[in-house]
Amino acid sequence: MLEIKNITVNYESRPLFTNLSLTIQRGEIVALTGPSGSGKTTLLRCIAGLEVMAAGTILLNNNDITNRPAHKRQIGLVFQDNQLFPHLNVSQNVGYSLKIQQVAKQTIVTKVSEALDLVGLSHLADRSITNLSGGEAKRIAVARALVAEPEVLLLDEPLNGLDSELHSRLLEDLRALLTARGTTTLHVTHDHAEAATIAHRVLDLRQLFS
Amino acid sequence: MPATLFQQNRGIKLLAVLPTVFVFAFVVVPVGNILFTSLKFESLKILKSETILNVVWFTTWQAIISTIASLVIALPIAAVIANFKFRSQRLIISLISVPFILPSIVVGAAFLQVLPNSFHRTAFALILAHTYFNFGFAARIIGARWLQIHPHLDDAARTLGASPRQVFTSITLKLLGKVILNSALVVFTLCFTSYGVVRILGGPSRSTIETEIYFRAMQLGDVSGALVLSLLQICVISIAFLLISSTRRTNRLQIINTTISRQRLINKTSQKLAVSTICLMSIAFALVPILAIFRKSLISNSRLSTNAWREVLSNTRVLNSLITSLGYAVVTILIATTIALLAASSLAYNKNFRFISALTSLPILVSAVSIGLGIIVTFDTQPFNWRGSQMMLPIAHALVALPLAIRAITPVLNDIPDSLRQASSVLGATNWQVWRTIDFKIVRRAIIVAAAISAAVSLGEFGASSFLVRRNSETLPVTISRLLSRPGDILQSQGYALASLLIIFSIIVIFVIDKFSTTESTNSRA
Repeated sequence: MLEIKNITVNYESRPLFTNLSLTIQRGEIVALTGPSGSGKTTLLRCIAGLEVMAAGTILLNNNDITNRPAHKRQIGLVFQDNQLFPHLNVSQNVGYSLKIQQVAKQTIVTKVSEALDLVGLSHLADRSITNLSGGEAKRIAVARALVAEPEVLLLDEPLNGLDSELHSRLLEDLRALLTARGTTTLHVTHDHAEAATIAHRVLDLRQLFS
Repeated sequence: MPATLFQQNRGIKLLAVLPTVFVFAFVVVPVGNILFTSLKFESLKILKSETILNVVWFTTWQAIISTIASLVIALPIAAVIANFKFRSQRLIISLISVPFILPSIVVGAAFLQVLPNSFHRTAFALILAHTYFNFGFAARIIGARWLQIHPHLDDAARTLGASPRQVFTSITLKLLGKVILNSALVVFTLCFTSYGVVRILGGPSRSTIETEIYFRAMQLGDVSGALVLSLLQICVISIAFLLISSTRRTNRLQIINTTISRQRLINKTSQKLAVSTICLMSIAFALVPILAIFRKSLISNSRLSTNAWREVLSNTRVLNSLITSLGYAVVTILIATTIALLAASSLAYNKNFRFISALTSLPILVSAVSIGLGIIVTFDTQPFNWRGSQMMLPIAHALVALPLAIRAITPVLNDIPDSLRQASSVLGATNWQVWRTIDFKIVRRAIIVAAAISAAVSLGEFGASSFLVRRNSETLPVTISRLLSRPGDILQSQGYALASLLIIFSIIVIFVIDKFSTTESTNSRA
């Protein structure tokens, strides 16, 4: 369970949002909507430990992780623009977190293979990431985040910029994947229809703070 | 690839003629002559001589150590440039760049003042001077590329469990690897072919290939031996250049342009301390030798005095060398900038002329001393007996400056989308009007940068000048070298006064380059 309690975040010395609170139950998919510039991405970055909060607490499974550095939070983040590592191929990108944890090579191979199967891209294992289509890159970014087995997965407008056909297909695949794995997810989007399709619960960011 | 607007103009091909003829006549022919003359069995015997083997070995290992030292100092500075934003940052970057543009003779003279006498003529002095020369250059190159790494790549690694150290080793260093290697190769080449610093600081016991070439040709009369050493040097530089080119090709895959800056404000006390320490030490390292030069120019017989300056500004011979240098600089600017503009234009307007890029890079493969030697041994018989001509020196200077001038202009011209020219054309502009109102307007700042670089190269050039300068037309660096080699405080102080003038000019050049350089064409936003 993820609990965000009364967090306040400033941007250029002015408050972006104040006293924001949110609770996500284990296995729940929550979609967060709001207009551009309202602070959705900033909220995700705060939860992931990539931004400094002015005030507030973040609890993960009742453990206070407010002051824990990002690499120790076990919270995954799929960035809007994927941020695949250009010097690594697809397999290496997906297996990055396992290599960091010094997991045995054979285990890495097995888990990467499973992850690529899950997103339907096993045939791209050795491909350079510069040769991926937009949809393929999105799937690899999701696979990379999931392989790390995070307690919570944060998705920052993961389907942004895709054409409508690819958008629909990926949305359905993502929903099926997250539901099957029971991953606790916070999905940020400005698309209300997308939010309604993927999530158990849809919230508007502006309703969450005072 | 579709033809550019100008490519349809048959006259475009003529743009490539002058650069081709220039490089062919003054690089290819002399180098070919060096090759032809030196590849004789008798001449090659010199490579077995123990003295020469020691010289080659010393040249190599001091260049390696200097390269490592330069990079060790450059990396923390590059980290600060790329990751933090603070006041005076641009000023600091400009200041640490000054050593790179200083004439080598000035750097040598500076370290004669900074180091105690017991360190003169030592390998340590040479390595320290070479490090001083190159650390700012390496920091800027690495810092600029580091700045292009998208900050969210670091964030992605952190959310996948990577600690800050792991982010640096598994992401940052991997993405910077090629540019670090590229910088190392460039610095190695510069240290390998260093001349002015070695002449001043090294003395007879610390000879490198470059100074040995000069010594054999001009003092021993062993021209064939000098040519063999030139050939050896060209081979080493060519290998380094090929390696540099290969790193640049693969490096392009990893450039990540970003609209999000990775520079952040300094928030933590530990960051403030680290950044302040690195900046202060860098500035001190950059400025102390320069200040030592100014100080020495104002000290005569252990007393504060402006005698040296008054003597310099009233001595006819010294003033002549100043005027001569300025005159040569003007001619060098005209030659180098014109050739560079023509070469860059032919590259930009006709994609079939890529050979121009390789051709105009050839001067990089030949050290300045070898250029001077090549000109002397090639243009020594009628109707090409030009080695005594006053034009040979600015031509040699232009050859040294040309690759740098082209690199200032080419990216800017290449960045102009042809659609802008086409838009101008369909509004009724002739090709000449298109060029004048579009291309020239955009590229003129780069031309100013190329001119500044050419002037700096010419004013500070010492290697080729040592061969080509005549007694009644000394250049400033040759005059400085002459004054510093004379016994007596008064004459040496005059040398330092002249060196101070060159420093002032170098600082002006750096600020001109930084002011007029642009990495973004305005067209990319059109």
